[in-house]
Amino acid sequence: MEPISIAMISDFFHPNVGGVESHIYMLSAKLIRRGHKVIVITHSHPPDRVGVRWLLPSLKVYYIPFPTIASSATLPNYFTFLPYFRTIILREHISLIHAHASLSSLGQEAILHAHLFGVRTVFTDHSLFGFEDAASILTNKLLAAALKNVDAVICVSHTGRENTVLRGQLFEPAEDDPSKSVVRQSVYVIPNALVAEQFTPAPEPPPLDTINIVVLSRLAYRKGIDLLVAIAPRICAAFPNVKFIVGGDGPKLNDLLQVRERHLLQDRIELLGSVRHRDVRDVLVRGSIFLNTSLTESFGIAIVEAACTGLYVVSTRVGGVPEILPEDMISFANPDEDDLLRALTEAISLVSAGKHDPASAHARVRSFYDWTDVAARTERVYDAVLRTPPMDLGTRVRRTMQLGPFAGPIYTTILIVECLFFLFLEWWMPREDIDYVQKHWEHARFTQVCIAR
Amino acid sequence: MSARQWEKALWKTQPHPDNYIPPDSFLSSLRKNPNFKPYTYWPLVLLSCAITQHIATIFIFIAVFVRLNERLLDPRVLLWVSAGCFFAGYMLWEVLSYSDLQVVYGTSNRTKVLKSSLLVFLALMGLSPVLRTLTAATSSDSIWAISACLFILNALLADYSSMKTGAQSQERLTSVISMNAAISSSVVLASRLADDLAVFSLVLFAVHLFALFPILRHRLQVIPKPLQALLTVLVSAMCITLTASLSISVAIIYSAVLFAVTFVAPGVLVWAQKHKNEIRGPWDVAVPRINWPS
Repeated sequence: MEPISIAMISDFFHPNVGGVESHIYMLSAKLIRRGHKVIVITHSHPPDRVGVRWLLPSLKVYYIPFPTIASSATLPNYFTFLPYFRTIILREHISLIHAHASLSSLGQEAILHAHLFGVRTVFTDHSLFGFEDAASILTNKLLAAALKNVDAVICVSHTGRENTVLRGQLFEPAEDDPSKSVVRQSVYVIPNALVAEQFTPAPEPPPLDTINIVVLSRLAYRKGIDLLVAIAPRICAAFPNVKFIVGGDGPKLNDLLQVRERHLLQDRIELLGSVRHRDVRDVLVRGSIFLNTSLTESFGIAIVEAACTGLYVVSTRVGGVPEILPEDMISFANPDEDDLLRALTEAISLVSAGKHDPASAHARVRSFYDWTDVAARTERVYDAVLRTPPMDLGTRVRRTMQLGPFAGPIYTTILIVECLFFLFLEWWMPREDIDYVQKHWEHARFTQVCIAR
Repeated sequence: MSARQWEKALWKTQPHPDNYIPPDSFLSSLRKNPNFKPYTYWPLVLLSCAITQHIATIFIFIAVFVRLNERLLDPRVLLWVSAGCFFAGYMLWEVLSYSDLQVVYGTSNRTKVLKSSLLVFLALMGLSPVLRTLTAATSSDSIWAISACLFILNALLADYSSMKTGAQSQERLTSVISMNAAISSSVVLASRLADDLAVFSLVLFAVHLFALFPILRHRLQVIPKPLQALLTVLVSAMCITLTASLSISVAIIYSAVLFAVTFVAPGVLVWAQKHKNEIRGPWDVAVPRINWPS
């Protein structure tokens, strides 16, 4: 497709680390490689991450001065973002925005504002949510409101797509029979990927006499650390040659420390504390089995990374995890102590019999997941979005009113006030006064200069 | 389109575009109302008896206060009535403890009860002159408003659960707040009364009604259902007769409230169940099953 200018918008970006952050960065880098111009808009991290920064392959990042409320998310306030957003979109000549993560209010506000500039919108949802508690009900309503007028939605797994379709109410009347409602055609599944070069197996295969089980996860309830605490002593008692290497930090660290002390397993359970992402491979190559005890997981990139490093994976059967690897590279267990023990015992006997080959596992995962492929598939979504006609304001109001007897009028009011605010901004900060970007980074020119040196 | 089937797998290249929605398997693991057990009307009415009893006790207390305040009731009579209620209630408690073998009661426990009841009795007696003048500087309107708010808080946060057999009764924070709200409310009301004896008898009555009766009621919910219904009817009837002689219109409002709580509210809940739409699927946080060390 023709090169376009894309703005990635999310509350979660570098210098924070995490799945969403690295997803945005890798996708942007690959899109730049394909000839597009990409910028990122996120909130600032005072004191030193403020203003405009450049990241390595010519990725420009705007850090907007908004305070965060919790877990690096900003407060949804709908209007204060518009002045910044307008200036950036106009000066960078953006033609498509791509918002990430459903809890990022910057992303949701950008989807709301984009129509004022004729900019098209794509949204990627990275996580799974339930429907029962008060926080889920509120955030799901916010998501449904934001997604009413989005042009395309991308989810990272098939389970994630089912979840997002229900949470965001992405249904519309069928074309042949308006009484039936069907899922919108613009909901895509594009998985995450990984940089296989960063997760190469150890040069020589791990020894068969000592089996190291690696756990790399935040030590929190949702990651199923209670299950780990329950099975670790039982595995240590059953197999004298098995050791645990646990990386990560969190509220459940004390439980692990206690169980280690109670069963005198100080030399069998190694606790590393939090592990930086660049050190993950060095921890992974020490083991031959990777254990994931999560209670919910949308994609489970840590599992794919471990499989790529040549580890055999044992995981709970939750969320999108059953979709990510073929059956012969991973063993599943129900989130149940006895079943997990069964799966882990089978995995230990399989690995100690030498039936798992790290090198071939690495080669297979490398062929499954690749960021270039992800970027190409995302580009097809952009292309499809740019081909569809944009919605006019009347359609937008009509669709927003469908949100419900209470939320509908509230969001319609927000939409109309936003349009008035936009008109005010057009008068107050005229387009002629905006400092437009004349030149972007030219990679070819940069290479030329570098070689000339 | 190729003949290859769509699979729910991310690692293989699918023969379909990324926005292909498999017609059969999409949302096939979605379950609606999986653990849904519909309520029926009469058991709900019976469960609401605890709420009715509690609201009726609040109304009884208000009626008694009005009588004391207007000098229609001799404080000494109230004192004897509450002492009688205390002994009757304690006897009932003992009988229930005997029938419930899991809770063992010893003589030491009885001395403890005797000691603490004497302590409360004497402390209240000593404090009543202070309580009488506690809010002398505050206007009566504020006192009515404060006590109304505190009684509403008390009714909202009270513990209406029934005691499970064998389980030790655990005081939850909300029930403690509820009790404190009721006692504070009765203290501010008592400070409107004229003489020390009236203050003393009203606060003692409040302690019996709002601190001891909920504990007994908690226990009483295991007794046969007809007896529970009878108790509810008795308490409600007492509340309405005590009020009716003071004001007919208030008595009518009280009976309407009690009727609504007992018979209308369960009906509304039963009706509202048809709107229940609980969605469950693979995205829910799994509940780990762990064999805790016994």
